[in-house]
Amino acid sequence: MTDIIQILILGLALGGVIALMGSGLALVFGVMRIVNLAHPSLIIAGAYIAYWGAKLTGIDPIVMLPVAAAIMAGIGVLMYRLVFEREARNAKYSEMTVLLTFALAMIVEGVLGGLFTNTQRVTSPGYATDAFFLGDLFIPKGQLYAGLISLVIIGALSLFLKYSRLGYAIRATTQNREAAELLGVNVNLISVLAFAIGIGLAGAAGSLVSFVFSFFPAKHWEWIAMLMSVVVLGGMGSILGTVVAALLLSVIAAFVGTWVGATWSTMTFFLALFVILLIRPQGLFGEKPEMA
Amino acid sequence: MSVSLQQSSASAVLEARRAHNDKLARKADQARAVWFPLTLLALLSLLPLLQLSGNYNYVLHIVLFTASYVAMASSWNILGGFTGYVSLGHAVFFAIGGYFSGMILARFGISTIVTAPVAGLVAAIAGYLIGRITLNVRGPSFIISSIALLMIARILFDNWAFIGGANGVTLPVNSLSAQWAKVPYYYAMLAIAAVTVWVSYRIKHSKFGLGLRAISKDEVKAESAGIDTRFYKVLAFALSAFFVGMTGAVWGEYLTYLRPNIFLIILVSANLVLMCILGGKGTIAGPVIGAILIVALNELFVATMGASELNILGTGLVMALGLIFFPLGLVGTLARRGKLPRVLNWD
Repeated sequence: MTDIIQILILGLALGGVIALMGSGLALVFGVMRIVNLAHPSLIIAGAYIAYWGAKLTGIDPIVMLPVAAAIMAGIGVLMYRLVFEREARNAKYSEMTVLLTFALAMIVEGVLGGLFTNTQRVTSPGYATDAFFLGDLFIPKGQLYAGLISLVIIGALSLFLKYSRLGYAIRATTQNREAAELLGVNVNLISVLAFAIGIGLAGAAGSLVSFVFSFFPAKHWEWIAMLMSVVVLGGMGSILGTVVAALLLSVIAAFVGTWVGATWSTMTFFLALFVILLIRPQGLFGEKPEMA
Repeated sequence: MSVSLQQSSASAVLEARRAHNDKLARKADQARAVWFPLTLLALLSLLPLLQLSGNYNYVLHIVLFTASYVAMASSWNILGGFTGYVSLGHAVFFAIGGYFSGMILARFGISTIVTAPVAGLVAAIAGYLIGRITLNVRGPSFIISSIALLMIARILFDNWAFIGGANGVTLPVNSLSAQWAKVPYYYAMLAIAAVTVWVSYRIKHSKFGLGLRAISKDEVKAESAGIDTRFYKVLAFALSAFFVGMTGAVWGEYLTYLRPNIFLIILVSANLVLMCILGGKGTIAGPVIGAILIVALNELFVATMGASELNILGTGLVMALGLIFFPLGLVGTLARRGKLPRVLNWD
């Protein structure tokens, strides 16, 4: 029994981080119908910001989080202006953007690899290797902090989307782009904003990831299918769905990892993605069968 | 009286239309430069004679390497170019072909050149089964599912002890002298590339190819026009897996080892997509031109900068710029502007 609770705790803590990694992806897809395959590579870019912050100045990666988020948000605005703005008129837009973001992912990987080489990195603040003990249970502090902070950030994002005027506009654009534009929403501005927030979330996730997982520039290929499975299961664009899916899948992955074998735990995500696409392409919370 | 008049005028209209179609077809035949690829093929098949006068192994290697990508890109084009279903998972079939023939070579000593068609068949069967599942979804979902497929295959290959797991398998080296060791693979690859281009040409000019292109324009309308879109798509997927599998088989023996991190990487798939996009998706000459360009660029990058990270960066940059500025590719853009040189018109 303690085993099961133990695995559950580890799965949930990781799930929180994965939810944050996926939420930016979901937001960007929801508002702009861009399947951003470059998202994980940008998370790694964020992780490098935290890594070098910690290495050069000794700043804690959690403190570096807003810095990484801000830098990445800026890069997001740049990417949107340079690449996606002109693509918005393309007929095969959403398919085109998959290939474009795929190319962007390679560019980011190439730049990071050129700058920092392909060695495994990890930031190691004191809590990363420490743990709380509750009787027989242990909770690794690093994963717990990362998971909690992720959920706080996602909570704040949901509140922003729900109660602020800009959040209103973003949600309206997600639901129906043309109608929102007719009602006076500056759709282009909202798109830039949502894109910046989405990539900013990648930066934030990156600084948390930097002490939870070890990372190197080419690692993002492993994450893309994992995050896609979370976002697709969550219903392509629903933040709440993404969180639920992330927690669900990472708990399942934790059980698979313990009982079947560590190599098969990532397989959970890939197989889940396959099965979801086949059985219920619109995901748990999605309503748009047009994606199928 | 009036009925017979109508009939005769209807048949006259049909007659006129047929004559017009024939005229168009003749015009297209005249514009098509089939002699060019044939001459190129003839010249390339004489190239190994160079070995009589010195050591040109590097030249042979480059042509062989290009031919392998010509075959794979043309093969990818059957699915991605004609039907518009972009697959980033074709490296899986490359690996299936390579491992199937490679394991036979390692166990029984039968050259992969002999077993390559069987390897292609195995890859095609795998493609058929996978296609039955993944071709149910369209657009971005299909692309994502193909990436997931690659990831799943990588984990399976990495952990399958029988085929050597992540360490892979070392294959026996053939008994020819260094001077001639590459030549059998050279001819095999050249033949595979030629057959693939020819098959994709035949497909494009068949009713099947017409159906595939109808699917890429509007699948629902194609379906309602009586095309069995599901069967067409799955068949296209299997065919495009076939030649990639064959290429993988010969490539494995040429490399003399099989390893998941050589066969099952997304860069292989990405290269196929990139070649087709750069050359022109859905055209016959496009993938060939794209393959030649990318291999040349690759050699340039490696020769001048060396590092593999910069290689990835270069691939990504070329792909992004190509997508943004020439979404139709070289052949497609030139044809759209009516400036396609005749030597590049193989359609």
